[in-house]
Amino acid sequence: MSENLEPNVVAFLCNWCSYAGADLAGTSRIEYPPNLNVIRVMCSGRVNPLFVVNALQQGADGVLISGCHPGDCHYMEGNFYARRRFSVMKELLEYVGVDARRFNMSWVSASEGAKWKEVVSGVVDKAKEAGPFTEFRRNKIDW
Amino acid sequence: MINLEKIRDIAKNTVSRDDIKYLIGWRQGTYGFRVSPHFVRKPEEAEELIFSPLCSNNLATYLTLAEKRPVPRGQQPDTRKVAVMVKGCDSRAVVQQLVEQGIERESVYIIGCPCEGVVDQSKLEEKYPGTFGQVEARWENGKISLCFPEGKTEVVGEELLTQKCLTCRYPNPVLADINLREEVAARGNESFADVAELEKKSTKDKWSFWQDKFSSCIRCYSCRNVCPMCYCQECILDKLNPTWVNRSVNISENTAYHLARAFHLAGRCIECGECERVCPVNIPITKLNRKLTKEVTEKFGFEPGVDVEAKPPLVGYRPDDKENFIL
Amino acid sequence: MKINKDKLADFIAAISEQTVYAPQKRGEALVFAPVAKGSNVNLAAANTTIPPKSVVFPQTETLLRFELGKTDLEAPVQEGKAVMLGVRPCDARAMVIVDNVFSWDVDDPYYLQKRADLTLVGLACLEPCVNCFCSSVGGGPASKEGLDVLMTDLGDGYLLEVLTEKGQTLCQSAEGLLEESVKEDKDAAEKLHAAAVNKITRQAPDTGPIPAGLPRLWEDPLWAEVSESCLGCGICTYLCPTCHCFDIQDESEGCDSRRCRTWDSCMFPEYTLHASGHNPRPTRRERTRNRINHKYSYFVDKFNVIACVGCGRCINLCPVNIDILNILSKVGEAL
Repeated sequence: MSENLEPNVVAFLCNWCSYAGADLAGTSRIEYPPNLNVIRVMCSGRVNPLFVVNALQQGADGVLISGCHPGDCHYMEGNFYARRRFSVMKELLEYVGVDARRFNMSWVSASEGAKWKEVVSGVVDKAKEAGPFTEFRRNKIDW
Repeated sequence: MINLEKIRDIAKNTVSRDDIKYLIGWRQGTYGFRVSPHFVRKPEEAEELIFSPLCSNNLATYLTLAEKRPVPRGQQPDTRKVAVMVKGCDSRAVVQQLVEQGIERESVYIIGCPCEGVVDQSKLEEKYPGTFGQVEARWENGKISLCFPEGKTEVVGEELLTQKCLTCRYPNPVLADINLREEVAARGNESFADVAELEKKSTKDKWSFWQDKFSSCIRCYSCRNVCPMCYCQECILDKLNPTWVNRSVNISENTAYHLARAFHLAGRCIECGECERVCPVNIPITKLNRKLTKEVTEKFGFEPGVDVEAKPPLVGYRPDDKENFIL
Repeated sequence: MKINKDKLADFIAAISEQTVYAPQKRGEALVFAPVAKGSNVNLAAANTTIPPKSVVFPQTETLLRFELGKTDLEAPVQEGKAVMLGVRPCDARAMVIVDNVFSWDVDDPYYLQKRADLTLVGLACLEPCVNCFCSSVGGGPASKEGLDVLMTDLGDGYLLEVLTEKGQTLCQSAEGLLEESVKEDKDAAEKLHAAAVNKITRQAPDTGPIPAGLPRLWEDPLWAEVSESCLGCGICTYLCPTCHCFDIQDESEGCDSRRCRTWDSCMFPEYTLHASGHNPRPTRRERTRNRINHKYSYFVDKFNVIACVGCGRCINLCPVNIDILNILSKVGEAL
């Protein structure tokens, strides 16, 4: 258990919904855990599942991908593709032994500042429970 | 029954056609139980062709492996077909390549070879160590007859077949322009037992299982190169700027390599098992790929390499796809 | 000198102030790995999958380390005495061949330091494998070239022939475990060596005319023929004990960076890919032609030795059974 260490969570947020929703949480002065490293992408459908692998290699303890609700994608269908891809990626990661608590996906719309707080708190709690993920890190292995 | 003469005649006729560039088949290897791919351009060369339980190579990979050189000015590109001999599993690779438009239907002449199962070379070498001379094999009444160079014959059964053959559901080519023999009965049913066995383990055990396997990987890229579905001109795993996976060989990069390749094969891997056969350090790659085959089958009801008209699952979606994993 | 087989573990312990490398299973493959307590050393198997070059020329090796904001570099040349136990004579010859490259125009400190620190204890081959052809390329199942000690399995023990000072020093550190050998032992070993040579079934064609003749075959159709089934993977090169090509890459983690070298293969298409996009070896035909020419012609031009020791790994492990002996016989015919 890692009560001392704060997890590093990398989050890929779609520009139109989730990023805006997170921003709303900020302007509404809603407090939520600061553990996220946010990467803004234009659409959740742009997120290459290998980004998750790369994030874990670079030291992420958890990953979150968040996009518009199905049917509301700014680009019509991007989030549908993302949903399919990540349903498969999630299974692959679990199968290889990456704790299921490290991978998360959510739909957060631009007006859901409150939901954003819940999502982030949940993701960070799960990552904390799962502990620091040092085994996959590139960190100077055999340097 | 395999009639080698008939097979060779068909090959000779195929190669003599004006619209066929060359034919890809199998011939006896240079020692022991080996078999090697044989490229036939002239009818006489077809004499060396064989089709036996030793023919594990998936020749469909050569359809996309052959380099396309720029055509010199004034010359027309050679649009003749390539004829390829494929077993059931191999034909699924051709179909999947057609589905993805990696090759065109008019560019390939498929010679179907209904197959009763190929042997696992490592099991053979274990059972008959020190076999130096070339061995021939034949399917005979549900068993396999091995003819050793000294003249003796041994008959072996299912226990020497590769794992994939024991549960084979597609022994007969799914798509073919001509078939070399009558159809063969399928062997088994898909239950993904090997995958289920690993799924039962704890997260920690799974991680140590795969880390142990990946740690011996030498990144020779044999698995990728032999795979009929890996045919990108520039593989993402070789790319620099951005570098997705570093070229240094260590457990982190090896894990990333295998995860990336497995994901890129999700819903595309036709389970020919070549990746595992060619791996010099015996990593159970099919165990990884089949997990995703299972997921894609269960989640999207899609089986790769079966229907030429099918649409691949990950380039599509349904509005009602399950999202029970989404927060 | 002689050592009884049941004293082997003690022998390893006695020489263990150095790192001892011996053939062991890593995953499913046999490789040369450091011996630790409880290691399962396998001297009975045929050759290791990964050749012993992996010890002096690791697959990934840090050449330089540097940090953002600092101007000094670290060049970590690894030092530390080591012993390799159970090296086959072909692989030892291969190391001598590769030494030429790493001390050619530049003395490579990373490689040469490890080589200087290394003592090679060879194991004569008494049961050559199907694809061994060491005797047709200047070697043999009991060749002493490159070795410091040669062991021969006599059944209940190993005969140890000390060949160099390094070997002498090594044996001295385990003096109490060794016995004096008698003439019968030496005779028995010689008989076994001779028998082993006769067990080799495959030969390369006469390699005499090949080095000078290969350049004449530049446009010969045989190259297209033999390379057509090649997958372009790296198995033959990575597992070849004389192959030594490497790539240099920079990697960063935060503010720390390193420059490392990793094994590379001339069979990969990117190997000769220029920044302009031009590739002088665009297809497998050119790359296969290059590989054979390098080993059997260019290397001979520069260093007077064929860069192939007949270990047979490329034949055993090529997924599509591309057989260098087959290629050489075609070359022989064409000449």
